[in-house]
Amino acid sequence: MQLSGPVILDVPSDPAVMSAVRGFTDKISRAAGLGAEETDKLVLAVDEACTNVIRHAYGNRPDGRIRISFTAKEDRLEIAIRDFGPGADPATFRGRDFSEVRPGGLGMHFIKSAVDVMEYQSQPGGGMVLKMVKFISEQETS
Amino acid sequence: MSLGGDLDMSTSPQVRKVLLPIFRKNVSHIIVDLKDVPYIDSSGIATFVESLQLSRKTQIRFSLAGACPKVESIFDLAHLKTIFEMAPDAGELIGGEQSR
Repeated sequence: MQLSGPVILDVPSDPAVMSAVRGFTDKISRAAGLGAEETDKLVLAVDEACTNVIRHAYGNRPDGRIRISFTAKEDRLEIAIRDFGPGADPATFRGRDFSEVRPGGLGMHFIKSAVDVMEYQSQPGGGMVLKMVKFISEQETS
Repeated sequence: MSLGGDLDMSTSPQVRKVLLPIFRKNVSHIIVDLKDVPYIDSSGIATFVESLQLSRKTQIRFSLAGACPKVESIFDLAHLKTIFEMAPDAGELIGGEQSR
């Protein structure tokens, strides 16, 4: 499925809305042509990215905004997650070593395993954008 | 203990609040039944990793039961599937305990 333009979700930085964000991501991903397994991983990636925004960009404040845009192209689904927090150094965003069994540090691993491209960009007016691209294989679209 | 619904950033703190104090009680085995949990994210997994750490400290056995394939695949993705004691259903763990 190719859409004529991006679909944009603008939600508060409130964990209570994450269930709705997951449901929406699931529908868009399937409609774009991704299979069930890839969709599950993508839903997890969007969830984790938003969780990172809530925790790190807004310090668990529920009154920030998160803008998630989905752009479905013939061969890919592009997702951009924008926050308006104070910003941070993307070099400090890394997952923990798998050999360490301790809470935390898994979100980045989940995001990386779900998408083909991911990139953080600082925004001139403040905040960050996480851009993710998932390519759709011919097998999935057939 | 049995859980129901998604285990994510909004629900994990409540689970943590109930689960972790059980390790201070006089119990030998804690089983968390996940059969009604359709989804888990890193917040939910972190709660169980914390429980596992407490389990090692207190010598209280800690097991997860009934995880659906989707939840199991997330543990797998986190390289944690073999770290936890996981059983297809809670009855199997309880039965094993009784036959000891």
